[in-house]
Amino acid sequence: MVELIQAALDMGWPVLAFLACLFVYFQVSISDPVKKKQATFKTFIGMIAAFMLLMAIANYKINFFANSRLLPVSLAMITALAFMMGIYFTNIGALFKIGGFMFLVAAGLSGYGNWLPQVEGGFPPAEVKLDFGSMSAQQLADEGEKIIFGGIGQSKVQGAIGKGQCPLCHGFNEGFLSERAPNLWGVPDRAKTRLDDPRYHKGKPGDRDTEQKEASPGSGTAETGQEYIAESHACPSCFVVAGFGVKGTNDKQSPMPAIHKPPISLSLGELAAVDTWMYVREGKEAPSFEEITKAYEKFIPEADRPKQQEDKPAGAGGGVLATGEEPVDQIFQKATCVACHTIPGIAGAVGTIGPKLVEGTNAPTRIKDPAYKGTAKSTREYITESVINPSAYVVKGFPDNTMPKEFGKKLSAGALNKIVDYLSQLQEGKEPPKIS
Amino acid sequence: MGSLTKKKTLAIMALSAMIGLLLLPIVVSVPALASGGGAPAGGPPPDVVKKEGGEGDKDKKIEKARDVYYKTEGIVSGLPAPKTGDNSKDYPRYNFESRVLLWFANQQHLYYGSFVLAVPIFCMVIEFMGVMTKDKAMGKKYDQLAYDFIKISLTAYSLTAILGGILIFTFLTLYPAFFGYLSSIFRPVMHIYALMFVAESGTLYIYYYGWDKMKEGFLKWIHLSMSVILNVIGTVLMFLANSWIGFMMSPAGVDEQGRFLGNIWHVIHTALWNPLNVHRILGNMAFGGGVVAAYAAYRFLSSKTDEERAHYDWMGYIAMSLGVAFLIPLPLPATWLMREVYAYRQQMGITLMGGLLAWLFIIQATMIGILFLSTNYYLWQALGRMRGAERFQRWIKYFVFLLVCGFLVFITPHTMVMTPAELKAMGGQQHPVLGNYGVMSAKNGGINVIITTTVLTFIWYQRGNRVPSVSWSKFGNIFMGVFFFFAYVNIIWLAIYGYFIPANVRVGLSVPQVATTLSCLFFMTALNLSMLKGAKQIGPIEWGKISVRSQYALIMLATAFTWMMGLMGYIRSSVRLFWHVNEIMRDNSPWAYTHTVGFAANMISFNVLFFWISIMFVFWLGTLAAKKAPVEAKAPVPGQAPQPAVGH
Repeated sequence: MVELIQAALDMGWPVLAFLACLFVYFQVSISDPVKKKQATFKTFIGMIAAFMLLMAIANYKINFFANSRLLPVSLAMITALAFMMGIYFTNIGALFKIGGFMFLVAAGLSGYGNWLPQVEGGFPPAEVKLDFGSMSAQQLADEGEKIIFGGIGQSKVQGAIGKGQCPLCHGFNEGFLSERAPNLWGVPDRAKTRLDDPRYHKGKPGDRDTEQKEASPGSGTAETGQEYIAESHACPSCFVVAGFGVKGTNDKQSPMPAIHKPPISLSLGELAAVDTWMYVREGKEAPSFEEITKAYEKFIPEADRPKQQEDKPAGAGGGVLATGEEPVDQIFQKATCVACHTIPGIAGAVGTIGPKLVEGTNAPTRIKDPAYKGTAKSTREYITESVINPSAYVVKGFPDNTMPKEFGKKLSAGALNKIVDYLSQLQEGKEPPKIS
Repeated sequence: MGSLTKKKTLAIMALSAMIGLLLLPIVVSVPALASGGGAPAGGPPPDVVKKEGGEGDKDKKIEKARDVYYKTEGIVSGLPAPKTGDNSKDYPRYNFESRVLLWFANQQHLYYGSFVLAVPIFCMVIEFMGVMTKDKAMGKKYDQLAYDFIKISLTAYSLTAILGGILIFTFLTLYPAFFGYLSSIFRPVMHIYALMFVAESGTLYIYYYGWDKMKEGFLKWIHLSMSVILNVIGTVLMFLANSWIGFMMSPAGVDEQGRFLGNIWHVIHTALWNPLNVHRILGNMAFGGGVVAAYAAYRFLSSKTDEERAHYDWMGYIAMSLGVAFLIPLPLPATWLMREVYAYRQQMGITLMGGLLAWLFIIQATMIGILFLSTNYYLWQALGRMRGAERFQRWIKYFVFLLVCGFLVFITPHTMVMTPAELKAMGGQQHPVLGNYGVMSAKNGGINVIITTTVLTFIWYQRGNRVPSVSWSKFGNIFMGVFFFFAYVNIIWLAIYGYFIPANVRVGLSVPQVATTLSCLFFMTALNLSMLKGAKQIGPIEWGKISVRSQYALIMLATAFTWMMGLMGYIRSSVRLFWHVNEIMRDNSPWAYTHTVGFAANMISFNVLFFWISIMFVFWLGTLAAKKAPVEAKAPVPGQAPQPAVGH
């Protein structure tokens, strides 16, 4: 309040000074006591009105961007002084009264707007550079939850929404009413059954009666549950669940946009994260990152894939140790794993600085170890995590912080996947798998 | 050849020449439009230039791409939409939010633009009524009124042009990258727009200054035809401007990168263009009616004589009636627009009505209620100027009951977007008591009860000082009573029935509810008019003898119209979220977020008040030139003689 008065005085002291001078002038110049009293009263009221106006303006000046809910008070103050002025200047009194009434209406409506809950749309989501390919299933699922709901744990909050905008239409919880689009609870299992729906026309996209027969020319139909999910994201109108089509199209057209295109524009990595969350939250084992992206690649041609590919970390194209196109033994060589680890089946991998990598045997017991600090729930996740974050579990007898923590950035998603595939099959006392 | 015939021939030739001149820019630009108006986006792209220079590799140089909306293939004829960054090159700025400055400039231009487009439509209608009426005195009165209207809009017209200039400068200086892209796409359209603006100005001036010269006989018809031309040009102007906002919301005619594909019609004719056009025409009319009604109220309140009061009372009534006549059908194109929004992008529709912007729709619902309550209040007050209308007073309390009930149901939300803390406090997304209410069919029931009651009030008003004397009046009254009774029963029953059926089926109930209301509106008003033919007058209409409160109801109506227009414009614009051109050109300015409801409400109030302060100035200017009347005789003092039926 003091700040407001100060600002009002700073701004309008000349006006107040003028009125004060006028006040003094009337005291000196008018001799008739009745007229003098009238003039004194009018000047006094004028000073109050001017001060109110200045306060109203100062309130706007200070709080315009501050979301102050008291801003409409300024309008109410101007209303009051407009009516006061209407009494003063009777020849244009109608104008003042109308103006005052309009200010009152505006004050009421503004006040109503400020009284309602204040919802503000945040800034557009920043385009974060993430290497989805090197994440564990849980990490991917967390990213998926962020994309769908805007944050980890937000799936439990009603109304939460993320970049993917999925909850605008889809329900996600078991038993929840989902009138605009199918409820996605149980979709990992349900996806496979959709393929048997006679309207789906598995393997015969040309027989479909939908507006769009295929996601892209020659892409065909899905063969697996994951492919079905990928197809429904890439081409929502290729198969529309009964009752969820655009009104009047008899389920031949879906109201859902292709989410790899603007405005949502999810990259393949983000799509994989979303899908992984849908499996993980139901306690189901998610397909690997590579399997999911492969499914999407079937339906989204190279040219149509979102541009986020350009935003991938610089290391992904140039500075990587292995691209993933090499056989797995070469990947171990290139990444210099062989220098420190003994890896059955890999020539020259006889290092002893790090533990022997028979992860098919080691991982399940280590996850249960109280010393384990990571989040993995399966062997594959444990291996991925131990490459990206070696300190999540430090094997007894081997010092921490010896293994570099940058392999997540130095290995492509494909390379990491091959490593995980191979190591997860290694078991103590058993023959190593064949290298392909 | 007599002098009159010669005059007629000259007039027809002049009119034909004017029409020809008006159509010339369109005719000239048609070939350019068909070919896409050249290469709008910064001249032909390099590959096209190469094609012209080379001989053998023509096909190789032509790049084709797919239209984002029409899905047709077209030759790439423009550059991609620029990718802007948060820097002073793409977004030059003062130490103030550029978006707010643009918001202000845009809104003021729109208010004035809407006003000057709406008023000539009123003039056309009123002038036509003046020509058609058999009562000469009444005809002159209408003519005077139409002239008064156009006089008000003339000063506002130059202000509209000035504000348009300010708007363009604001765009150019604060959003150069975006405006550059938009003008590169719409270059031929913008040129036609400018030419049409010149044509509009010319026609308006001839129409205004020729009023005295063309007041009789055939020349009057020529004058009336000019008002039609004036409105055609005005409407085309608005359609062209609408194509820009339509493109920003639902782009077409470009590929995914925003490159123009050579078909300017696709760019203009976007998914939302047509519903926007219809919605805006009706909205402008309702708004224009509100502004003129406020003008009349101002003149009424500052009148010194009974004669003036009578004239401005009548003017306010006519303006209010026209405004409300366009307000009532306004929800229909609005529904069409929303339907098209949902069809274009469902998530856009949900962001509007069930997401981020949903609270603004609650304000809108409240405002619609205020508009109808004010209208009804005015009509009840207006009964006071009719002798014999006292017999209706006792019914008003029941109307108030119906209106308040309808209003309360109408503004009750079902589900809302809330913060986690609010959700926790409420114990779920739905309020423990109110959450059971507020479904769409019930809300539709609420608004339909309000509109039907307004129709009933209007019928009451028409009968104020008259008693039907047709032989079948008893049957007519019973039929009308039964019709309204079953209309209410049907609307309310469907509102309740909606609670017992699934949501997707419930949505369909709006059709019979709206149909019922429209039936009351059209059939019952028509029936009432035919019953009132040759009706017995039981007292005069004493124009000018209306309460001062009624004039404040008109001002309330006008302010609420203006506020609602600002609100809906804000909603329509902010639904693009962080896109300059939806899905094509991203807004990377520091203001690419959506403001709170409170901030928007403050800003809308500021715009509304600025508009009203400035238009009050225009009104005041109008009074300075009000001394001279264009018609020979002033209209007879209304209220001194009983008014004919058309006077209502």
